[in-house]
Amino acid sequence: MTDRTLDPIALEIAWNGLKSVADECFISIMRTAFSTNVKERHDHSTAIADATGRLVVQAEMALPIHLASMSGLLEGIVQKYGDTIRPGDLFLANDPHVAGGTHLPDINMAMPVFDGDRLLGFVANIIHHADVGGAAVGSMSGGLDEIYKEGLRIPIMRLYSAGTLNTELMELLLLNMRLPDERRGDLNAQISACRLGVFRLGEMIANLGSDVLAQIFDEIVSRTEMRMRAAIAKLPDGEYRFEDLMDDDGCGTLDIKIALKITKSGESICFDFDGTDPQVPGNFNMTWSATQAAVCFGLKALLDPEVANNQGIFDAIEIKAPAGSFVNCVFPAAVAMRANSCQRVVDCVFGALAEAVPDKVVAATNGANTSAVFAGIDPRTGQAYVYLETLGGGMGARATHDGKDAVQVNITNTSNLPVEAIELEYPLRVEEYALVIDSSGAGKYRGGLGMRRVIRPVGHVCEFNGVGERFRHRPWGLFGGCDGAAGRFYVRGDDGTETQLAPKASQVRLAPDAAAVMETPGAGGYGDPVERSREAFEADRASGKFSERWLKENYPQFAAPARVAG
Amino acid sequence: MDANGLQGEWLVGVDVGGTFTDFSARNLVTGQVRIHKRPSTPDDPGRAVIDGLAELVEKHAIDPASITRFAHGTTVATNALLQRRGARVAVVTTRGFRDLLEIGRQIRPHLYDLQLDNPAPLAPRELRFEIDERIGSRGEVVRPLTDESIAALIAELREHPEIEGIAVCLLFSYLNGAHEGKLAEALRAAFPDLLVSVSREVQPEFREYERFSTTLINAFLQPEVSRYIDRLRNNVGDAAPKAAFGIFQSSGGLMSAAKAADYPVRTALSGPAAGAVGAARSAALSKFDDIITLDIGGTSSDVCLIRNGRTSIARSRDISGFSIRLPMVDIHTIGAGGGSIATLANDGLMKVGPESAGAVPGPACYNLGGTLPTVSDANAVLNRLPQELVGGGFSLRRDLAVDALRPIANMLGIGLETAAMGIIEIVNSNIVRAIRTISVEKGYDPRKFVLMSFGGAGGLHAAEVARALGMKQVLVPEAPGILCADGLIAADLQEDFVTSCHLKLAAGVAELEAVVQELFVQGQAWLKTEAVDAQGERLMLFLDMRYVGQNYELPVEIEATVDAQGRVALPDVDALAQAFFETYERNFGHYDPAAPVEIVNARLRVLAHLSRNDRAQDKPVAETGKAKTVQVWFGEGYRNTKLIERVGLKPGDSFSGPAIVTQLDTTTIVPPDATMRIDEAGNMIMDLN
Repeated sequence: MTDRTLDPIALEIAWNGLKSVADECFISIMRTAFSTNVKERHDHSTAIADATGRLVVQAEMALPIHLASMSGLLEGIVQKYGDTIRPGDLFLANDPHVAGGTHLPDINMAMPVFDGDRLLGFVANIIHHADVGGAAVGSMSGGLDEIYKEGLRIPIMRLYSAGTLNTELMELLLLNMRLPDERRGDLNAQISACRLGVFRLGEMIANLGSDVLAQIFDEIVSRTEMRMRAAIAKLPDGEYRFEDLMDDDGCGTLDIKIALKITKSGESICFDFDGTDPQVPGNFNMTWSATQAAVCFGLKALLDPEVANNQGIFDAIEIKAPAGSFVNCVFPAAVAMRANSCQRVVDCVFGALAEAVPDKVVAATNGANTSAVFAGIDPRTGQAYVYLETLGGGMGARATHDGKDAVQVNITNTSNLPVEAIELEYPLRVEEYALVIDSSGAGKYRGGLGMRRVIRPVGHVCEFNGVGERFRHRPWGLFGGCDGAAGRFYVRGDDGTETQLAPKASQVRLAPDAAAVMETPGAGGYGDPVERSREAFEADRASGKFSERWLKENYPQFAAPARVAG
Repeated sequence: MDANGLQGEWLVGVDVGGTFTDFSARNLVTGQVRIHKRPSTPDDPGRAVIDGLAELVEKHAIDPASITRFAHGTTVATNALLQRRGARVAVVTTRGFRDLLEIGRQIRPHLYDLQLDNPAPLAPRELRFEIDERIGSRGEVVRPLTDESIAALIAELREHPEIEGIAVCLLFSYLNGAHEGKLAEALRAAFPDLLVSVSREVQPEFREYERFSTTLINAFLQPEVSRYIDRLRNNVGDAAPKAAFGIFQSSGGLMSAAKAADYPVRTALSGPAAGAVGAARSAALSKFDDIITLDIGGTSSDVCLIRNGRTSIARSRDISGFSIRLPMVDIHTIGAGGGSIATLANDGLMKVGPESAGAVPGPACYNLGGTLPTVSDANAVLNRLPQELVGGGFSLRRDLAVDALRPIANMLGIGLETAAMGIIEIVNSNIVRAIRTISVEKGYDPRKFVLMSFGGAGGLHAAEVARALGMKQVLVPEAPGILCADGLIAADLQEDFVTSCHLKLAAGVAELEAVVQELFVQGQAWLKTEAVDAQGERLMLFLDMRYVGQNYELPVEIEATVDAQGRVALPDVDALAQAFFETYERNFGHYDPAAPVEIVNARLRVLAHLSRNDRAQDKPVAETGKAKTVQVWFGEGYRNTKLIERVGLKPGDSFSGPAIVTQLDTTTIVPPDATMRIDEAGNMIMDLN
């Protein structure tokens, strides 16, 4: 078989085998971790890298932002530890500023794979830990303005040296984290997944030999780059620019500008963020890894959704982001809420490339990772509770169909918690879960609607914290499509009062005679509303998703609509 | 009846597939089995059933009056769902939650594909109505349901004469069904011609989106499925007047026609589930309890893990993008089959599937107009598919397969056979991944299982797939093509009962016992009304347990004892905790003996065993022609390979590879270093070295 080891057939089969290893490690973490965040939301990723730290294969369910972070860690391991890496070592890190991370809760681990003395690669994984210390429970609160407040910073360190656990390091880690038993469980899940991956790769080495496996790694990365470059080559050459504004950072900075210039020539493409605002005090800053993840997500989704996610994609794309800017922040920038900013960078990639690939782009999405936290003492048990939810919103319209209503967009795809689960577990009542009428951007194809969630504390006073974006800067339409509606948070009192809240609402007191209303943004339309078909218009009208007034204003051509008989 | 006519009672199983409708008849006294196969009639699936039944009794001289049971696996519901062909349903839900069915879990079907959406809800927004009422999380009435609001709703509904069915979906109805019950009663009275599906009746389990979605699907399917079942029951009643009529449900057992008409959503996976049950039974005859099934069809492959003779059960699954929460046989499907097309992707690597040539134009070698290289063409090029299929009437065109494969071989600069082997190896590696998913990734070691192949192409790939997984044996059932129909005959009557309870284990078992007692009462009542002919019964209790604070549950089987008065007793708290810990550890590799545990659902599965006869029949061994030899490619080159007809084999026979065994419905490859034997049950067992 050796004569055809690297033909396109053998390579495909070996690649399948490597994917199985990454998937098995992923499932292993899901099965052995302790926290809900991993077991339910699958907020973790696994991957295999080569001896130089290049990512080669990731699990099917791996998250884009984790991959960039793992890549950062692996690069750091090779640079920092080079020749001293030994079998049985296990590295960990989380720091965004010195260890390639994107925010502190994401703890990275990597274990080297050896054939005898020869370093062949690494097995890596990442878990979003529910708490890594710092000023606020969950290490994810808005309003923190310095990395130290966000949790424990871990540089690249050996947790195991040649198979021996550094128990003192483990003690230090656990001492600095809330819920240390759960943390220990999750860290152990990561450790055993590393070992499992190393064992499985050992089996592949025994079958294929280490020379062949190393060649396979090379081939996978170079073929991925080739495939991505082939997709890039199909874009028309030229320069594409786009700018968007984030609402604020929760610490007083308004209208944060993200500026993007894309230069495309032949098989090369460069994303230049020159002109983007400097980093901000609030924790919305993006590290280099986070920006890389967002750019790669956007380009892959536009050009080739099925292409493998590995170093080959990073190699095909050049990114320039000024150090100290919002999209390449430096110490001591705070970063916990960077997912919101990633969403916006993806929107910018779509906005910039709209002219180049009008058939594939999506108008602005709800552009946020809207989240809300309810916290208080459960009057039924006397126990403290914290309930976090992340809310979808509108997805932008597309060249051939409307945007989807009320869904997670871009780099986020986490599910909601059922109403019946929320009310069983927390002293809260969900009063409404609905689409926000009229929140879409009109167009030949309309944007998706935002969602409304109304939650009331039952029998006690609770605290509400919310993080929203596109509460002032509305999601834009494309090619004549209209902008979608902004989102908002407000408190609705039983006496009929409505109190508007800030987009980064902090420590709002909520009594049982009032409910928190969260309305997420809609999304932009695509194409001139004049071109909307009568059929689509009538469907919109029948659905009750729009008011008569909104329909008349946006589609005046159907001002005297034909009444459907019956 | 002529002199050869067979006496005694007959059981008949009928499975309707996309291409063929299969019949299997078994005599309760003699154990004899008679099979029949005819083309399906997709425009009216019942026609093939009735025509085929007439042909079966005619061909085998069976007295129709001696048929005592008619068990049916149907795809009517599945197809209606796939094609969105169903009723216009109105949904009635709690005020504030009209959009819940549309929002679903707020996720996209694919992270990177910007054009792909989940399907639109089966009930459009204008037919989703809200009503003032609210039950709270302890089952308490937060806001009463008034007669006025019911009257207003009925008036609203009357403005929509197009409505063909109603789904009633209220929050927390699984805890307190009073509102749903009152509403349903009023709706049934106001709209006597409409079928009303009620979420508490369809599946009284917590998590509203899945419960509502299951209920809506039920209402959507109901008119078509109940019409179909009514008509079929009447026709079968005419043809076989003494036959009890059973419909196979996705959970792996039979239900009455009346239940099936009330709960058509339970038949969404009827056919494949019957195949898995048939496989488990067939393997049991060969004394294998732990098997992994591999069913390779034209466009897809199904794999299923069976342990201790029981199929794995999934609690929920999506069918064409719609969420169904019901117990269903856990069948994992991938887009790899005989018709899967090989292409060169733009990274230069060969991929096989998920695109398929389907039935039309089909693989090139079928000579129906297909020109793209498929898995079947690769098998044809290597001479692994016999030129003449058993039964005749259809011959393969290897030359067309060669034409189809040549371009891809040329592009890769490799020989034709190497390209064909490549296609097969890639599709095998995809199947291996699927089997790893249901075994390794769930904590089961595939090397401890036997691979059981069926479906048209299962036997072509089984040996190589098994070897790649380190499995030692492959089992090819006696009649793989009618495994589903066989499963129908072997099935028990079955009903699942569930109560969502949310009880802390530490609070003791008294309240839990009351819940379980009520389940047993329901189960016994069901046995009395639905299972009067049962030969025996079995009640299996499962508690869905979890650590407090978790959001997923594990089903833990519990032995309950019932005294002479019918009072149920559960093991004590420690024993229940221990049972949970054991299950938790098996699934997750660890457990915490100190953390508090709670029970979310209590489930009772009631099985009523029906009479059957598992005795292997003495089968006449057919004369076969002179053994032929063909040249088949096995990696290194062409080898002289025996072509063996299965009908000529009898228990005790054995032979070594290379060989190809052909039979009516499948072809099995025995590689050079494997041996094959026929066991006493008539199954073929391949030992891989």
